[in-house]
Amino acid sequence: MSTSALPARIGTGSEIGRETRRETRRRRRLEEEARTIPIRTYGLRRGTVTILTLLCALFAVFILIPIAWIAINSTKTQSNIFETFGFSFARPFVFFHNFSLLFQNVDGYGTYTQWLANTALYAALGGIGATALAAFAGYGFARYHFRGSRALFYFAIGALLVPISAITLPLYLTYAKVHLINSIWGIVLPSLVSPVGVYLMKVFVEVSVPTELLDAARIDGAGEVKIFFRLALPLMVPGLMTVLLISVVGIWNNYFLPLIIFSQNQLYPVTVGIGLWAQRAQNSGNAELFPLVVVGGLVTMTPLIALFLILQRYWRSGLLLGSLAN
Amino acid sequence: MSSAAIQTTARKPGQRSAPGRAYGPQSQQRRHGRQGLYFVVPFLVAYLMFMVAPLGYAIYTSLYTTKLIGGTVFSGAANYTQTLTDGAFWSGVIRVIIFGVIQIPVMLVIAFFFATIFDLGIAKFGRTFRTIFFIPFAIPAVVAGVMWAFLLEPQFGPFTHAANAVGFHNVDFFSSNLMLPCIIVIAIWEWTGYNMVILYTALRSVPRDIVEAAILDHASLWTIIVRVKLPMVRPAIVLLVFLNSIGALQLFTEPLILQYFEPPAISVNYTPVLYIYYTGIGDNEYNLAAAGAVILGGVIVLISVASLAFRRRKGQLA
Repeated sequence: MSTSALPARIGTGSEIGRETRRETRRRRRLEEEARTIPIRTYGLRRGTVTILTLLCALFAVFILIPIAWIAINSTKTQSNIFETFGFSFARPFVFFHNFSLLFQNVDGYGTYTQWLANTALYAALGGIGATALAAFAGYGFARYHFRGSRALFYFAIGALLVPISAITLPLYLTYAKVHLINSIWGIVLPSLVSPVGVYLMKVFVEVSVPTELLDAARIDGAGEVKIFFRLALPLMVPGLMTVLLISVVGIWNNYFLPLIIFSQNQLYPVTVGIGLWAQRAQNSGNAELFPLVVVGGLVTMTPLIALFLILQRYWRSGLLLGSLAN
Repeated sequence: MSSAAIQTTARKPGQRSAPGRAYGPQSQQRRHGRQGLYFVVPFLVAYLMFMVAPLGYAIYTSLYTTKLIGGTVFSGAANYTQTLTDGAFWSGVIRVIIFGVIQIPVMLVIAFFFATIFDLGIAKFGRTFRTIFFIPFAIPAVVAGVMWAFLLEPQFGPFTHAANAVGFHNVDFFSSNLMLPCIIVIAIWEWTGYNMVILYTALRSVPRDIVEAAILDHASLWTIIVRVKLPMVRPAIVLLVFLNSIGALQLFTEPLILQYFEPPAISVNYTPVLYIYYTGIGDNEYNLAAAGAVILGGVIVLISVASLAFRRRKGQLA
């Protein structure tokens, strides 16, 4: 049986429309079972599985501790956050009061909901833009060979592993010259550059958009643009989802760039807002700020965890593609 | 094998490009080749404007010095000399190197351990555990920093209480000795799941027949893991070492958040990025900060290119 996982799995991505979700899930499980060698063949001692499961549980507890802490403490008053045991609930139960603080300008430095809306806007604009550019470029690099295309590709992915924070200060210096400080474009435009996205899309197009199909359409007289939008793009959807997710999470979680390019608090994304509150909570003595930081943190991470749980298979295919070269 | 190279030399119509790939006839590609440029131009423009140009401008800025009297004058490598002879800059560099040398191997061992368990299916509820381990990847570093700062807080933090309860009195996680180990733990918490998933994916693609052959030869489970699976996922491990090294050099958000909670614990030059941040944004020494950013950016681009070269040499890059 073939175990070169990539073409098989990517193939399944583009065939989704033809089978029901339950069938897909069932087939996946069967595939996975077919690839997993039964435990008994390894001749393990009886307790080994139990011990290993316990180790997994131990690490899972380590992972879940901070999340449990923030969930429990979002229901507490500031004094209870500090004075009661961190992993038990305490009276009074003030989650809804804390939650309502998110809609108010508590200490005159800004409102959480506005920052959340900003984050969503930056992530949507940047994510969609980055995905579109990566889709065009990945398709161009994968399915056309023009003079210098190879050199251009290596030039583009020379920054494959360069994170946006590495060029944040240079961006800031440039923005000071071109008046992009305190402009939402200052964060959206650099987010459009995703060498990883281009690389992923190129690899994805190579395995899921057949050249024969494109050539057939050309013989039928279709234009290149029409071929891209009508034929190639629908086949690229799973890859597009992956690049979109990676970009959105990257922008959602970015801290350094918005921290230094925004000085007006109505432009802050949530990360900068929470950082500001964490700093002010130490100094200002405002009794609402610590609960605000806690509940704000909880509300910030919840959409992303939900997104991740719902769209898990796109994550996995993305990481799979990302590690394709391995 | 380079398909572009073939294209410039091949004259015969119908010749295929790189062997083993299902490309169509060469003539079709040649006729439509140039239109591909239009597809890649939007990205390249954004790339030039928001990645290459800022780096170029930072290099330019780093070659000048702004003085109160006399304005901005060309000063050559003076800013680089000043940065590279500044003990504060190096103490940050050394700190992130210590951080990386400890954090990366520890994390990769944990990640490989769990990836192997899940790959072999020798623990129960593997799928659930895999999902849980990956969750921190979706949590912003700012929020992670805030949560851990509360947990480790020296007076009220639950971890401090726990340390007291098991007999370690007067433990101060924010003291200068324990701060770096704490940041290492936070980074392990944040990134182990991501590394684990990549290793797991790589392990899954090891052909089943090879493992079966090893079992038939009475190889022990340990032998299968170390002698069969580990060598086959070595490229994935190397890639992760590159990626995590860049991450270590970029260490910024977690120390900055901890600094908000406990200002004395984290100096302004705690990591190279903090040094650049405080030099540029705090002290308005733009030229000096630009030199620091160029040095750091240069090292990161080098690591990135080295990883490409490594994978290309292994013939694994498309």
